[in-house]
Amino acid sequence: MVNYEGQLYTIEGVAAGLIMLMTAFIVVGTTSVYTPGDTHITDMQLEQMGSDALHMMNTPNTSAASAESALQSMIKNNEKDRFRETFLSFCNTTAGGTTDTLQYSTDVYYRDTLTNSVNRYHFAESRNLTGGEHAVRVTEWVNINGAGVPPPLDNRIQAVLVEVLVWRD
Amino acid sequence: MARLNDDAQWIVLMGFMVSFSLIFLGIVINQSTVVGQTTAEGVLEFPKNDILNVRSAVLQSSGIAIPADFDNVKKDISLIAMSRKNAVVSFGVTDAPPGSPYTKIIDIHFNNGVTVYNETTNY
Repeated sequence: MVNYEGQLYTIEGVAAGLIMLMTAFIVVGTTSVYTPGDTHITDMQLEQMGSDALHMMNTPNTSAASAESALQSMIKNNEKDRFRETFLSFCNTTAGGTTDTLQYSTDVYYRDTLTNSVNRYHFAESRNLTGGEHAVRVTEWVNINGAGVPPPLDNRIQAVLVEVLVWRD
Repeated sequence: MARLNDDAQWIVLMGFMVSFSLIFLGIVINQSTVVGQTTAEGVLEFPKNDILNVRSAVLQSSGIAIPADFDNVKKDISLIAMSRKNAVVSFGVTDAPPGSPYTKIIDIHFNNGVTVYNETTNY
């Protein structure tokens, strides 16, 4: 004979079981907030900051047509130390007074007129690349005006692509 | 077995409701991490800086007076963008028609296979 007593207790028990299972599922799912796939988030911030720094360096001080940006004269005159100082201070200065630990390695890509091919030379770095860094790539087009451009660049007015690998040490 | 007690059903019902709303909140927190990831991926995917960079390089080089020099810069940007950015970039500068308040009309085309950007601007 079927006993109808205790139905509410049975329902409560089943519901409690379901609640506990779902809680466990959610807790396990929530604690793994930072998986390797989520490095996108820090990559995005690093990339934005690096390209902002490069863009600041490639902005002339005045609006005169002949005005040269800092980055333009750095490439044109091969001023590696000045690049290092400027880029690191833009990237590593924080509001709290302590400095961040970003490092960079820069290459310049240019077109060789004779072979019509894209070549590259290493420009500057704050630390040698070992291959183990988790670096992001930021780039900036630089127009180089006038003559007196150092080799291996062709001695002409041209546009080159400055590529910087940025990583946090 | 204890005798079925019909009292306090409201309390039990409220208990269920509180439990389920807690679960709902848990699901919301659980989803927030996924939202952060897809947003960051979307931002990395979209070539905002590439387009801005090409644009400022083109606007700068539009001031080059000698046609041969300008052709050189045009070839530089197209070839390097193809090789390093996997993007087709082409641009041209024409003189504005007489009577226009501007001096030049610049058109810029950028296509990296996913994002296409076209612009015609008076300069």
